[in-house]
Amino acid sequence: MPKLIKERVPTPERPVEERVKDFGEVNLGYTFELAVKEAERCLQCPENYAPCIKGCPVHINIPAFIAKIKEGDIKGALRIIWNDNTLPAITGRVCPQEDQCEGACVVGKVGDAVNIGKLERFVADYARKHGIEEELLCEFEETCTGERGKVAVVGAGPAGLTCAGELAKMGYKVTIFEALHKPGGVLIYGIPEFRLPKEILDHELAKLKRLGVEVKTDHVVGKTVTLEELLEEYDAVFIGTGAGTPKLLNIPGILLDRIYSANEFLTRINLMKAYEFPEYDTPISIGKKTVVIGAGNTAMDAARSALRLGSEVTIAYRRGREDMTARAEEIQHAEEEGVKFEFFLNPVEFIGDENGRVKAVKFEKMRPLEERDARGKRKIVGTGEYVTLEADTVIIAIGLEPNKIITEEARGLKTNPNGTLVVDENLMTSIPGVFAGGDAIRGEATVILAMGDGKRAAKAIDEYIRSKKASA
Amino acid sequence: MGYRITAKEDLSPIDYFVEVEAPHVAKTWKPGQFVVFILHERGERIPMSVYKAENGRIGMFIRKLGKTSMQLYYEYNPGDELWSFVGPLGKPIKVKNYGRVAFVSDAVCGQAENYATLKAMREAGNHTISVQTFEDRERVYPEKFLAREVADEYYLTTLDGSVGLKGHYLDVVKELIEKDKVDVIFAGGKLGSLAKLAELTRPYGIPTYATVRQIMVDGTGMCGSCRVLYDGEVKFACRDGPVFDAHKIDWEDAIRRNAERFAEQERLAKERYLEYLRAKGVI
Repeated sequence: MPKLIKERVPTPERPVEERVKDFGEVNLGYTFELAVKEAERCLQCPENYAPCIKGCPVHINIPAFIAKIKEGDIKGALRIIWNDNTLPAITGRVCPQEDQCEGACVVGKVGDAVNIGKLERFVADYARKHGIEEELLCEFEETCTGERGKVAVVGAGPAGLTCAGELAKMGYKVTIFEALHKPGGVLIYGIPEFRLPKEILDHELAKLKRLGVEVKTDHVVGKTVTLEELLEEYDAVFIGTGAGTPKLLNIPGILLDRIYSANEFLTRINLMKAYEFPEYDTPISIGKKTVVIGAGNTAMDAARSALRLGSEVTIAYRRGREDMTARAEEIQHAEEEGVKFEFFLNPVEFIGDENGRVKAVKFEKMRPLEERDARGKRKIVGTGEYVTLEADTVIIAIGLEPNKIITEEARGLKTNPNGTLVVDENLMTSIPGVFAGGDAIRGEATVILAMGDGKRAAKAIDEYIRSKKASA
Repeated sequence: MGYRITAKEDLSPIDYFVEVEAPHVAKTWKPGQFVVFILHERGERIPMSVYKAENGRIGMFIRKLGKTSMQLYYEYNPGDELWSFVGPLGKPIKVKNYGRVAFVSDAVCGQAENYATLKAMREAGNHTISVQTFEDRERVYPEKFLAREVADEYYLTTLDGSVGLKGHYLDVVKELIEKDKVDVIFAGGKLGSLAKLAELTRPYGIPTYATVRQIMVDGTGMCGSCRVLYDGEVKFACRDGPVFDAHKIDWEDAIRRNAERFAEQERLAKERYLEYLRAKGVI
């Protein structure tokens, strides 16, 4: 049994005063030496016991890849990760590890959990930079014949990209249909550069292309092409359209200027690069005092983006600090960078100036009850007391729901009351041969769960096509 | 993959026609729907009405109003490619036999919609009435781009009376509905006029549908930039419209949002681009 080291090897981060001036990545990741040092903290729980594996939504063999890091065998580590997750550079950066693998880590019971997320990221980054990934890709390419059948994937987000990659590796010819002009889904329009540099995404997309996956951008399934047409041309279809429609608050003043949904604010910045206006043509309009409503990852992303555009930022949340849903690292970074937090405030009205621009938000003060809701959060009630926060910019980050474009057109697709697609245990929708995963079936979840669905669906699609071809 | 420009022509000193090869869009486009294009990698997403969708090509009327519309006019020619072109977006209007159908318009996109809508309405067996308003003689489009050829009744008006009837389409509509029966009115163009049209037809109970232009980003319901109040409820112009029952739209907010949200930035971008054009000796 190795000696237990309670404290984590810290990952280098850019100093606050430097990083708030640009959109460059905040966490710089482990060097080879630091990664090996951190890897040595892992107790190497056996595979059939390891709580971290159980805590991972796609069940990566974590102790095994960490053991390879210890040996300095990064190619071996990547091969193990790729068995379950082909996008580790992304998940290493965006997974809520503290609720998953790291939350379950045995070392974490007595000290800091092993920094699994940063180790995963290290393997991916190191392999990419040192040509190791290239060697592994060549091994995979041999199986990518594209001869087993044709599959259409709708939406180039985490679920769709994963499903496409898995199917390509099995020998299917995959075409992804993407509504926007660039693939990536939430990875490109939602998650900012300072958390997930776009060059990493570009690299992952190039990898898929190497595996023979074709991406058709500018194609809205349900408008440009119908689901029925796809079914005529392809052996199966996977829908990974995400939860792309913002929820807005149904309170007075919602049409005032400079009130953005987080999706609009972040899309302008991330996808359209409005922070480089006028070098880029898409504008953004932001004042000096921004209030962000909500406390999930999207709220943190929006708050830290607003800060980088020169505004003071306050996050207003209707629940308490311990109820925030964002990753711990995002909350910590936001606080370090000077984002202020106000808790137990529920917005009731947006107040505008004479030009129709927002100038304040009126909130009702809330208080927590002992009772908890289905998600384990304390219930809250209004106190009847009100408070007004000055705000010349407001960003609403209270969640998303599925976009209805595809379900409105394809009437045979059954949906749940919340708009998500109904699927069976094999992720097949109510239309035979049409599968779905990610936020399109979950409402609003995480990148890793979407990727897990993409992988599961790929297996189910393979079985479906095989049995269809066998009976034909 | 780019989308090739196949034709470009002046419509007036301020408006121009441009046609783009986009078979994926032209195949399924229906009246009421719009497209979104991007000029180049640094460009913005521009929503645009459609004049014609034929032979795999999409024709559009565009006003030289801001940086992007000017850049397309001054720097892009037939043979050049647009970086992105997506559609059709939004909901199509219901094309059926209503009886007597009018389309009225007073600005560039509205003029495109006027032709496109009435062409389909006439094919559906309607008696079509077109009213097109221009500022003055100089700004009236060449005959082949007017909606006259798809109209059973056609009225051209100019605000100064230099050609056609003197006045605005609102004047003609008032006369039309007092004189003859009009079963349904469609309208496009300036939002301020659409708001007035809604008030004009409301007392007569004539169904009135207007294209509500709003600032958009994705055009697929993803961002909510184009939200409008419709019958007291928030709707997205891109996904739920862009054509709405004009009597149920909160016009005051729609007009302000469209004009004001990024006015400062739009002005800056335009000035910067004009400077560039002047330096190059283009203007």
